[in-house]
Amino acid sequence: MIDIFTVVVPHALMALAVWRLLARDDLDQDPHLPAKAEGFRRKPVRSRDA
Amino acid sequence: MLNLFLTAFVAAFLGAGMKRPFLFVLAYTYIDIVGPQKVTWGFLAHVPVSLIAFTCAFVGWMVADNKDGIRFSPRQLVLLALLIYCGVTTKLADFPVEAADKWAWVWKALVFATFLPLTLRTKLRIEALVLVMVLSVGVIVIGGGIKTLASGGGGYGELKLLVNDNTGLYEGSIISAVAICVIPLALWLARYGTIFKPSWMATLFAWGICFACILMPVGTQARTGLICVAVLGVMMLRSTKRRLTYISLVTIAGLVAVPLLPQSFTERMSTIGNHAADQSASTRLEVWKWTMDYAHAHPFGGGFNAFLQNEVSYETVKADYAGANNAVIQKERIVEKARAYHSSYFEMLGEQGYPGLGLWLLLHVMGVVQMEVLRRRYAKDPPEGFAWVTPLADALQQAQIVYLIGGAFVGIALQPFCYMLVGLQCGLSAYMGRVRRTVPMPFRTVRKTPAPAPSPARLETSA
Repeated sequence: MIDIFTVVVPHALMALAVWRLLARDDLDQDPHLPAKAEGFRRKPVRSRDA
Repeated sequence: MLNLFLTAFVAAFLGAGMKRPFLFVLAYTYIDIVGPQKVTWGFLAHVPVSLIAFTCAFVGWMVADNKDGIRFSPRQLVLLALLIYCGVTTKLADFPVEAADKWAWVWKALVFATFLPLTLRTKLRIEALVLVMVLSVGVIVIGGGIKTLASGGGGYGELKLLVNDNTGLYEGSIISAVAICVIPLALWLARYGTIFKPSWMATLFAWGICFACILMPVGTQARTGLICVAVLGVMMLRSTKRRLTYISLVTIAGLVAVPLLPQSFTERMSTIGNHAADQSASTRLEVWKWTMDYAHAHPFGGGFNAFLQNEVSYETVKADYAGANNAVIQKERIVEKARAYHSSYFEMLGEQGYPGLGLWLLLHVMGVVQMEVLRRRYAKDPPEGFAWVTPLADALQQAQIVYLIGGAFVGIALQPFCYMLVGLQCGLSAYMGRVRRTVPMPFRTVRKTPAPAPSPARLETSA
């Protein structure tokens, strides 16, 4: 019972943390650092006027 | 059921990494600390999950991560030098087969510590890594803490943790030292976390983890842990604002806790000051003497597990008092072979010789200095959004000093968790370096120029 509790509680919190991290843009792009396009994920910049 | 749960968790963690590759780094961290493949005998035990997670982390970083502004820090170069040096001593080891066994996990720890700072590009990544490290250690210590409360631990080496194989973090002395390193990190998360924002629930959980960590030396009855608790207590005095309140609370907690401690614990802790009667402490001293002699003869070390060739003999002295002036002195000669170093410093000296010990000391002393520089730089009037830097540098410094002092009595010189702390320190330092280079104000002090003197023409006008 104790072993199940010690496994479930931290794992549940880690799962929640990972879930929240998936939705956070600042995981990959820090707001205090200049934005740069990333590796193969480079997206073409579209002009609004076009 | 547990098999299924852990397999699903690891699979989901790795699956999340497909969307955000940094999560592979966190998955590897979790797997390395908890060892889910050790906990379960099912599917995970037959799959090299650690290798899969590391490969995914590295490929994910190579393919998808932003690498602008990345620099290799001097500490990473020291790590690389230590890695290469350990590789060479493994080739020339006194016991090549046994040395290869240890090398199999040491190289992973050193490579990951070198790689980790390259991935810690954002504040959130640093925080996420701290969180996963604390929660992963929590998997081990929460159960250990509850069992200690329930049974008192049962004696030295008797506490049954989640995995009962006495290796890695599941070894009593090692977890009792590492658990204390985690306390300042858990407290930092409760105050500055953004994944789990500061709240009464976050604070309560952090205090719960800290309490479980403090219970580990009690449950495992490892004397190293008690020394680590004392060291952390003194260091926290430095960073606390209300020192008198802190001292009062610690004193009251100590006075309340001492009568509640199991008798076997207080008896074992009382042997700290009387090594002559204690076989374990006497063995250490003799092994350390043997290691110094060995290093004189082999200045480049004997490779991993060189202790297997030692043979030490010593006398233990016990005094049985039958009255105030009546004592029976009993001496017993003990001969022991192949005893482990029980000290990180002697572990490095015996296995890697003077160059290895020098590199290891350089790596850790640089860390203490690096964190001191950071904590001082942002201690007063930190720029907006950077109030978390000094407390984190402080927590990492405390964790490392606990490790360095606890490491004097337990062989954790190359313990992977401690190298995650090293990687975290390098990552924090590199991140703040990038921020400083990017944002000229207000991180760089601006030279104050005197106000221009009013021109003569203006003076005449105003007159």
